[in-house]
Amino acid sequence: MIFEDIYKAYWLKIFRLCMGYMNDRDSAKDLAQETFITVWQKLPDFRNESSIGTWVFRIASNHCLRQIEKQNRMPKTQLPAEIEDVIHHGNEDKMEFLYKCISELPESERIIISLELEDVKQAEIAEIVGISESNVRVKIHRIKEKLTKKFNNYEQ
Amino acid sequence: MNNNIDLKGLWNKQEADIPDTKELFEKINAYKKRSFRKIIFTNTLLILTSAFIIFIWYYYQPEMISSKLGIVLIILAMAIFVFVLNQTIPLLTKVDFDLDIREYLKQLFRYREKQIFLQTTMLNIYFILLSAGICLYMFEYALKMTFLLATVSYFTTLMWIAFNWFYLRPRQIKKQRAKTDELIIKLEMLNRQISEND
Repeated sequence: MIFEDIYKAYWLKIFRLCMGYMNDRDSAKDLAQETFITVWQKLPDFRNESSIGTWVFRIASNHCLRQIEKQNRMPKTQLPAEIEDVIHHGNEDKMEFLYKCISELPESERIIISLELEDVKQAEIAEIVGISESNVRVKIHRIKEKLTKKFNNYEQ
Repeated sequence: MNNNIDLKGLWNKQEADIPDTKELFEKINAYKKRSFRKIIFTNTLLILTSAFIIFIWYYYQPEMISSKLGIVLIILAMAIFVFVLNQTIPLLTKVDFDLDIREYLKQLFRYREKQIFLQTTMLNIYFILLSAGICLYMFEYALKMTFLLATVSYFTTLMWIAFNWFYLRPRQIKKQRAKTDELIIKLEMLNRQISEND
C-alpha cells in the first residue's frame, strides 16, 4: 500500500481522534504528524494481520497515550474556571463542546468514544484497545450516557 | 432529557486541511538526523575516552599488573556508561506503536522496569568498576611516593569516590525514580481503566 494514499484517507480521521484526546488543534496536528511518521517507518513491516485502518488507529491511540509522559515533564496549564461558564448555543459551539467533553474523559474512554464516533466497527475497536467486544459495547454505552448528560446540562 | 443528540454529526463537523506531505517528510528527515547525531555523539564519547586511556597506557608504560587491570576496569566502566546511555535514550525509536493498547501499556511497563534497572544496578556497577579501577591504577604510582604523599593521594581519591557514592549517586537515582514512579502510577491507572469489566 502506498503511504500517500493512507495519508490522504486517514489524516482527517486521525486528526479528529487526536482532537478528541487533546482538544487543542496544534497539539492534535503534532500528534497526527507523529502518528504518520510512525506509519511511514513501519509500513514496510505491515503484514495485513489486521486491516490497515485498525493498524493506523492503533498507532494513533498509542501516540495519544504517550502524552502522559510528555505531560509529566510539562504540566498542562489550567484555565481559570470562569471561562467555562460562558454559554454558547450555536451548532459550531456544540461541536466544540463535544470535543471539550471528550477530552475531559479518562484517557482510555477518550480513545474508545472517538473511534466509535469515527464509525470504526466495535470489533475493530476491541482489536485496537485489546479488550473484548462486549466490553467495548458496555463502555461505549456508558460513555454516551455521560456525554448525553453533559449535553443536557449544557442546553438547559 | 434529550437522548437523541447527534454525537456523530457533531463529531464529523471538525474539519481541518490535510497538511502537505512535504511538511511531514521534512519532519521525518529532521527526526532521522537527530537520532543519527545521538548515536554518533555517544560513540565518539566512548572512542575518545578509550583512546585517552590507551594513550596513558602507551605513554606511561605501567609495569605492574594492578595498573593494567585498573585501566581495563576504567575502560569497562566507561563502556557500561555509554551502553546505558545508548539503551535509555532511544526508547522512542524502539517502542512498538502498532500493538493494541493493552499490549502497548505492558510494553511501556517493561521499558520502565528496564530503565530503572539500568539507572540503578548499572549505575552502581559503573561506580564500583570506576572506583576499583582508579584505586588499582594508582597503586603503582603510590609505591613510588613517600608514605605521607601516598596516604594523602589515596585519602583524597577515596573521599572523592565516597562523595560520589554517598551523595551524588543517591541524588541522581532519586531524581530519576521520581520521574519514573509518577509515570508508572499513571500507566497503572490507564491499565485499570482498560481492564475494568473485561
